[in-house]
Amino acid sequence: MADLRIKDLVVEYAKGEYRVRPIDGLSLDVSEGSLAILLGPSGCGKTTLLSCLGGILSPSAGRIEFGDIDLTRLDERELSHYRRNTVGIVFQAFNLVSSLTALENVMIPLRAARVPRREARRRAEELLDRVGLAHRMGHRPGDLSGGQQQRVAVARAIALDPPLILADEPTAHLDYIQVEEVLRLIRELASGERVVVVATHDTRMLPLADRVVELMPHIAYTEHEPDTVELQAGETLFEQGTMGDCIYVVSEGELKIVRELASGGEEVLKVAGPGDYFGEMGPVFGLPRSATVRALTAATVVGYTVQAFREKLGATGSREIVEHRPLSGEPAPGREPD
Amino acid sequence: MLIAALRDLQWRKRRFVIAIVGTGLVFAMTLVLTGLANGFGVEANRTVDTLGLQTYLVKTGAPGPFLGSSPFPPTEVQQVSRLPGVQVAVPLVYGSATMPDRGSARNVNVFGAPERGPGMPVMSGGRPPSAPDEVAVSSTMRKAVGDRIEIGSRTLNIVGIVHDSTALAGQPNIFLTVAGAQQLLFSGQQLISSIGVRGVPAQPPNGYRVVDRAGAVEDLSRALNGARQAMTLMAGLLWVVAALIVGSMIYVSALERTRDFAVFKAVGVPTRSILGGLATQAVIVALLAALLGAGLSVLLGPLFPMRVDIPRLAFISLPVLAVGIGLLASVAGLRRAVTVDPALAFGGP
Repeated sequence: MADLRIKDLVVEYAKGEYRVRPIDGLSLDVSEGSLAILLGPSGCGKTTLLSCLGGILSPSAGRIEFGDIDLTRLDERELSHYRRNTVGIVFQAFNLVSSLTALENVMIPLRAARVPRREARRRAEELLDRVGLAHRMGHRPGDLSGGQQQRVAVARAIALDPPLILADEPTAHLDYIQVEEVLRLIRELASGERVVVVATHDTRMLPLADRVVELMPHIAYTEHEPDTVELQAGETLFEQGTMGDCIYVVSEGELKIVRELASGGEEVLKVAGPGDYFGEMGPVFGLPRSATVRALTAATVVGYTVQAFREKLGATGSREIVEHRPLSGEPAPGREPD
Repeated sequence: MLIAALRDLQWRKRRFVIAIVGTGLVFAMTLVLTGLANGFGVEANRTVDTLGLQTYLVKTGAPGPFLGSSPFPPTEVQQVSRLPGVQVAVPLVYGSATMPDRGSARNVNVFGAPERGPGMPVMSGGRPPSAPDEVAVSSTMRKAVGDRIEIGSRTLNIVGIVHDSTALAGQPNIFLTVAGAQQLLFSGQQLISSIGVRGVPAQPPNGYRVVDRAGAVEDLSRALNGARQAMTLMAGLLWVVAALIVGSMIYVSALERTRDFAVFKAVGVPTRSILGGLATQAVIVALLAALLGAGLSVLLGPLFPMRVDIPRLAFISLPVLAVGIGLLASVAGLRRAVTVDPALAFGGP
């Protein structure tokens, strides 16, 4: 049995001066012979998760097991072996080596696994024939269409017949005819004992999947009355990386809005006082909170749904909210009243 | 990943060809400079060897029998010839003179030696000079037996040709009788520069010291020591230039292939294979440049007005050094390849 099991996975890394945690406590099981689609918008951690599954990125916490291999316990040499023999990767934008022919690109993992040249060539020819490119073997990537390049990339990924295939946005950069070819090919891969994991934001692929994992779950916002929250000094209102449906207006006290730094500390983005509002971008765009809000003093805030906040702001669209227009009759933070 | 390295060479062939030509020219210049520096020693050795003498007696304090000589009367020649260990002793005259040459002046090295004694080289044509107004000249002067040359206020008849006899960076040697050289260099005074000896005197007379063959060669090329050092330094700098050309090309190649390296690593290609490919490229470029440089140096050598005598060892060691330079030069590129994160392969276009 070569099931894929992910348990309490956390990936956190420095991006520029801030720390980001694209994956926070993810657990997932994918049975052998099935195709799982990781669905979500850009930046939700799809590629990060694929990098972890491919043994390219080490998670900060949690476990990844494929069959009897615990990836989180492998050293650098074992990871290289794992990448070579257990995983096949179809990269976004194909990532074929431009100076090599289609045949030579497919031969790369075979030669890396020390398959003799002649045998590697025979196997690569067989694979390219299988993906319908027998007539394009001697062509370089620049002479192939996007769909053909992606098929070469698929042939390269399955060259060593790995039990786990990872595909990152396999339909990006393809027109609808090319997408059709690639979808069929990817579905065929998930057979026997093989596990295929596809990361995409392309919902057209969903019918292919045996399992769909939404990495950024859609929160069904419900309208509710404004919610008054009272906080003690030092108490946290919400944390960076969490989802939420409220935009908060400060009634009393002061709250600091901070972002985690790569160095381990925090950067204070702003201190919000009475009349200020914050936390509008997450609910409006369905994004995780980009900062943590903590009470500096005892404080009272009122949480509004997006719709309720629009009405309070007196605006009909999201533009005024995104531009952080001041609440009517209240001074803009750090600005003179209009 | 030899195939990837070779295909990349083909893929970026224009750049590699430019690097090979550039490095090849640098290697050619290095070889030519080495040949020039070596030529100084070669012609000094050949000149000394053609004299057929083993040792020289010079006045104590004089650095040598040629450039460093201090003229003295030939009164001791007979005494020296009777010293234990001496087979033959002859008076030798050496000096420099200027002769007109196609509208300009040309320096020549003047040697005076007995017609039949040691000190007079073997003629490749004609006969040795036997009278003060007769001269044997180097074949490099492109004169023939029967021609006349003017040196100073004297006109000399060419009676013999000595094959390819030069010293001091291609200056031709001319050979006269002792009396002829004395008239030319010392206004006829009975002075000599050294006593040439076949054999090794056990004890030189008072006021004299013995100079061996190596000392004589050193004395004949001493004036060029500065030039030789400068050329050696230049050759060393050119090795550095060659390394920089190869190194920068490999480094740029490594920068451009970052995504390829990331893909290689992501599909499990060991980092050492990637490094091997890059190093192979550097070695191929350096070796082809060495081959081109060797060929160019052979073509360019004769264009120089001085003797370019590239030692065979230089041709043999050039590819070895070139490989060393190629590997050394590719270190920056190799370091770059090592640090490439395979996660880059997941990036978009």
